Amino acid sequence: MGSTRDPASNPADRTLADVPLEEEVVVVRIDVAGEDIEPLLERGIVPGCKVCPVRNSPAGGPTVYRVDGHLIALRRETASCLCVRSALEAAGVLDAN
Amino acid sequence: MSNGAQAASISPTLPGTADQAHPRVALVGPPNSGKSTLFNGLTGLRQKVANYPGVTVERRSGVVTESVGSVEVIDLPGVHSLAPRSLDQKVTRDFLMGRMEGDRQPDAVILVLDGTRLKTHLMVADPVLGLGLPTLVVLTMADELKRRGGALDIGLLSAELGVEVALVNARDGASLAPVRRFLRALHTGGEEVRACPAISVADAAASEHSPGRTLPVIDIFAERRKRARELGRSAAFRDPRPSGVTHRIDAVALHRFWGPLVFVATVALVFEAIFTAAVPLMDGTEALIATSGEFVARTLPESWFRSLLIDGVWAGVGSVIVFLPQILILFAFIAILEDSGYMARAAVIADRLMHRVGLQGRSFLPLLSAYACAVPAVMAARTVEDERDRIATIFVTPFMTCSARLPVYALLIAAFIPAGSLIGPLGMRSAVLMGLYALGLLAAIVTAALLKGTLLKGRPHPFVMELPPYRMPGLRSIGTRLLDRTKVFLRRAGKIILMVTVVLWVLTQFPAGPAGEPPEIGDSALGRIGQVVEPAIEPLGFDWRVGIGLVTSLAAREVIVRTLGTIYGVEADDEQNFELQAALQQDLGLGSAVALLIFFVFALQCMSTVAVMRRETGGWKWPALQFSYMLALAYAGAWVANALI
Repeated sequence: MGSTRDPASNPADRTLADVPLEEEVVVVRIDVAGEDIEPLLERGIVPGCKVCPVRNSPAGGPTVYRVDGHLIALRRETASCLCVRSALEAAGVLDAN
Repeated sequence: MSNGAQAASISPTLPGTADQAHPRVALVGPPNSGKSTLFNGLTGLRQKVANYPGVTVERRSGVVTESVGSVEVIDLPGVHSLAPRSLDQKVTRDFLMGRMEGDRQPDAVILVLDGTRLKTHLMVADPVLGLGLPTLVVLTMADELKRRGGALDIGLLSAELGVEVALVNARDGASLAPVRRFLRALHTGGEEVRACPAISVADAAASEHSPGRTLPVIDIFAERRKRARELGRSAAFRDPRPSGVTHRIDAVALHRFWGPLVFVATVALVFEAIFTAAVPLMDGTEALIATSGEFVARTLPESWFRSLLIDGVWAGVGSVIVFLPQILILFAFIAILEDSGYMARAAVIADRLMHRVGLQGRSFLPLLSAYACAVPAVMAARTVEDERDRIATIFVTPFMTCSARLPVYALLIAAFIPAGSLIGPLGMRSAVLMGLYALGLLAAIVTAALLKGTLLKGRPHPFVMELPPYRMPGLRSIGTRLLDRTKVFLRRAGKIILMVTVVLWVLTQFPAGPAGEPPEIGDSALGRIGQVVEPAIEPLGFDWRVGIGLVTSLAAREVIVRTLGTIYGVEADDEQNFELQAALQQDLGLGSAVALLIFFVFALQCMSTVAVMRRETGGWKWPALQFSYMLALAYAGAWVANALI
């Protein structure tokens, strides 16, 4: 229940933690188990949403992302649970809207 | 705004209001949606803070009086969904569904959403509208939406949702007219108040309301997001530009180098305000309490009742009220930092450090508050969503040096530590004081790490922190919160202190002498207690007098100063306590004085904290463990200090 069964698994997929600043990507899968996924979903981090890292915090703290126009900070370990794809590429597979 | 065709097809259902005093409306919405500002705007100062039965979630309600009658408005905790994952969400859900024991279901709902973040916030509309209660959707931040180039057609959104929609500035009373119209309609049965129709994803939403979920949670949210975007499109919603001000401030506040500097400067400013700016206010309050006490003492005839009132109640309750200016200043800062949006950034900056010791960014605020007083700090820990992190945070807050320790530190340092310089401008006394602060912080860090490695061990939950746009804090909202906090603090702390001081007073009065006069302190019931504990504290270098002080300081730490004053028969009310210092120097060596200081760093001598701990953790388990752990640490620390020095 923690992840979508994404038919179009793509070797080019990365985790959000590997995305450089200012590159917009689309979330394709969330590898977080159980109820822990809800805080992400409730704040709009849902498969299909656009995410863009905008700022690294000092000393390796949480990174700030723009998610559908508003700012959310995630720790690296959480970001690495989000499987993403570049916005252009994803347009063909998912309704990136 | 309303649409005739749809309104006609929906049968107006005005819930029965005849049997109740006022119809009630619940305010629901995500955190930072402007819900509380709207609540304050509607109710003004006519609000009440209580707790929902059996839980620590605050129930804020107020009465709005319109020409046609009054309406009770309830400000529910901010939630993103109605899944019963956190306590706040469970309370909100139970309340909306009428499952709250002794609290009836609201007659209508006002759903408050941030107009600038409509597409995300509309995701919560689904489960709320799915309840089928008459609903008004209020979109806040109308001015900001316009300023940042966003737009929408609320008529279209209303048609699409099948309920009334209003676009407002929660701080601007005039713009609340549609909301007031909705409240009036609860009395008049106007067409604004109609049950909302089932909407397309209601089936998915329903699964959230029933225990057995039919759809995986991720699909429910994907559906909701899709639906929210469709709604946005139908309402011709144009996204506002990202806030330029926020971007520019964040460039500094979250900067690699400047960010931590701003953070440290902010913390320093708060400290400076609590410990320097608050002092004249606290002195003034103290003088006021003393003068009023003397006045009452003069007007009453000499009797046991006067003694109880002045030496018990006045002194005891006064010792709590004295901290009020400091706590108010702290809360004013916290309110400004929260409402401006900086607190979320501070949590992000602090997260890395906090995460290392097993806590998280949100623990920063309670720990900072604890330097003033652990009681509000324990309550502030509610913002820590993760239950294990919250317990760990609450557990370590009493190690932070609260201001009740300061009078004790000041007395002992002045009596036993020479005034000379340690290194350059750093005086010996300041160094010792800083050392005591550092020791408390160290104990907190070690304890947190220990807890998270043992009792509260578990997979870390994801840390998801929303960073709201920076906004100018509103005076009204800050004022209301200060008033709120004051009431809660006085009620909680005052009750306990009152009880304990009365018990202590009784113990000093018995057994009475032949003429009914109170006994010498050594012969009183309290003195005997001191002699009973003496063998236990002798290894620390303390005698029965200090023993009594320790026993009385269980109520509140600073009480020991007054107790020792009474025992040594010196007036403890002059500023420097010179007489008391001299008396202590006779009785305690340097070793036992340092031992006493260390004891105060670690021990949980504060019944208010224990009581608030019990409330916030829902039982005696954690406060009992915390009390024993801190006592053991205090005993061991004092023993080592006494043995070494």
